[in-house]
Amino acid sequence: MTDPTREPIVEIDGLWKSFGSVPAVEDLSFSVHRGQVYGLLGPNGAGKTTTLRVLMGLERATRGETRLFGTRVTPGCRELVRVGAMVEQAAFVPHLSGMRNLRLWWEAGGRRMRDADLDGALAIAGLGKAIDRNVKTYSQGMKQRLGFARLLLGRPELLVLDEPTNGLDPGEIREIRELIARLSAQGATVLLSSHHLSEVEQVCSHVIVMNRGRLVADGTVSDLVGSAGSVYVEVDDRERGRQVLAALPGVGRIQMQGDGVVVELQDGRRSDVAAALVAAGLRLETIMPTQRLEDAFLDLLASGDGSTPINAVEAS
Amino acid sequence: MIALLRTEFVKATRRIRTLVVFALLVGLPLLIVLAIHSHNPGRGPDEGPGLFRLARQSGLLIPAAVLSVTSGFLLVVIAGTFAGDSVAGDSAWGNLRYLLMRPVPRGRLLVAKAIVAAVLIWLSTFLVVGAALVIGVIMFGAHPVTFPGLAFLRGVEVFQLSESTIIWRVFVATSYVAFGFSALLALGLLFSVLTDMAASAILATAGIYIVSEILDGIPQLGRIRYLFPTHYLDSWEPMFVNNRYPHDMLAGIAVQVGYLAVFGTAALVYFRRKDIRS
Repeated sequence: MTDPTREPIVEIDGLWKSFGSVPAVEDLSFSVHRGQVYGLLGPNGAGKTTTLRVLMGLERATRGETRLFGTRVTPGCRELVRVGAMVEQAAFVPHLSGMRNLRLWWEAGGRRMRDADLDGALAIAGLGKAIDRNVKTYSQGMKQRLGFARLLLGRPELLVLDEPTNGLDPGEIREIRELIARLSAQGATVLLSSHHLSEVEQVCSHVIVMNRGRLVADGTVSDLVGSAGSVYVEVDDRERGRQVLAALPGVGRIQMQGDGVVVELQDGRRSDVAAALVAAGLRLETIMPTQRLEDAFLDLLASGDGSTPINAVEAS
Repeated sequence: MIALLRTEFVKATRRIRTLVVFALLVGLPLLIVLAIHSHNPGRGPDEGPGLFRLARQSGLLIPAAVLSVTSGFLLVVIAGTFAGDSVAGDSAWGNLRYLLMRPVPRGRLLVAKAIVAAVLIWLSTFLVVGAALVIGVIMFGAHPVTFPGLAFLRGVEVFQLSESTIIWRVFVATSYVAFGFSALLALGLLFSVLTDMAASAILATAGIYIVSEILDGIPQLGRIRYLFPTHYLDSWEPMFVNNRYPHDMLAGIAVQVGYLAVFGTAALVYFRRKDIRS
């Protein structure tokens, strides 16, 4: 019997997209499996939005294909019903109220309003009485929240989010991040495009790095961050911890730093470090990479100019 | 499809612009009737074209007079607005991509938008005529009309149209004019899918009709003028001034059907293949 968590929800297979003679996406392939929260990272112009537009049937692939739930994506294909998408900024009919926008959008798909999760969506929007005001009076943050409400009306299995926190204030950004985490915990698969590295690091389990239309890296966030770096460790007995780590294979230089130690990893993984410390009876207070996603991302862009795909990390 | 039509109709009719247009179409006949009413008859050429000259005889003729002056420009601009804005309006708001991701099939969406635009065009045409009929009857009453008004001219056939005949012919004329915007509807849809800017689509649509009217006035262009979308737009007037249903009306319908088929299909084919980037 097939493991449902290994079922690919999104498949991008040899995708090319050009605008005239200008390539936007070149030979891009990756897949997202059920339950994963995938971050699509890349600088402006990397081809992230174009990839999502092709995935959602808004643009046609020049070559290759995209699949949703195993079905080839064509404009307006039925599998899109199972997807909640926000591509670029949330947009609405400005002269209609937030509520009427939600209703009309839902009913345009031929479904009755009673089939929608309106209460849940309104709770997420959190717009109160403003839901009955015309959308043209909304701030960008209110529109984004209404956009989230809209995409959740159909209880989607897959969320496709393109820069979902653009234009939001810090409080709203935190709300959106928590919402994505909550939806993911409830079983939704998420494909999130962003150039906010901290956002991806906090929210995503996996990451794809694109540059100039090409795939640069594809793997878990922890692998990407920990692939070429060191970890900072705090235990209740720092000296004993240093001794344990010094005896651990795959560990290089160890430096004391503040209340903990910085351990340079050569072959070992963070999980090996943590396991060794715990096995030695030490209380592990902190273990985190000294390299952040931002460092890894910039290293990747610097090491590969985007002209050659680099499988920087192995997808787990 | 019914649900989609309903949503598109709500979007179109809840706009302030649509309500302003409808108010204008009700108010304009009032101004025209007041102008006719305040005019002192019997001043010869200053009395204007035939339908206006006869309009004082019966309020039933006011709709035909109003139709003749609005179909050349005002209704063209209004119809161009409804047609040109249909898809480009949603594009400009950024809402089109969300409709297509709903998903709403592109062909179905375009057909729904075309139907809604057509309904609004017909509604506008009938609204201005209906308002003219009500105001005209209130101001001048409902009487038979004797054509031509200048009955003393020798060699000119004189005939009288009854009240019911006038009302029926007003209905036929209004339907003909509304259908006469079918080419404009198809062109508007095409422009509307070609651009993401509603204003450009509206200007291009109305502009083509206005250019067509200008070129149609140049006899040196010969028979090619028969293919212009505006060439037969006034062909309904002989129903009143000559007491006959002109064959040109059939030609006009054929031309409109041709435009509708060619440019409507072009819009559909292009829209189904278009990359939505707005």
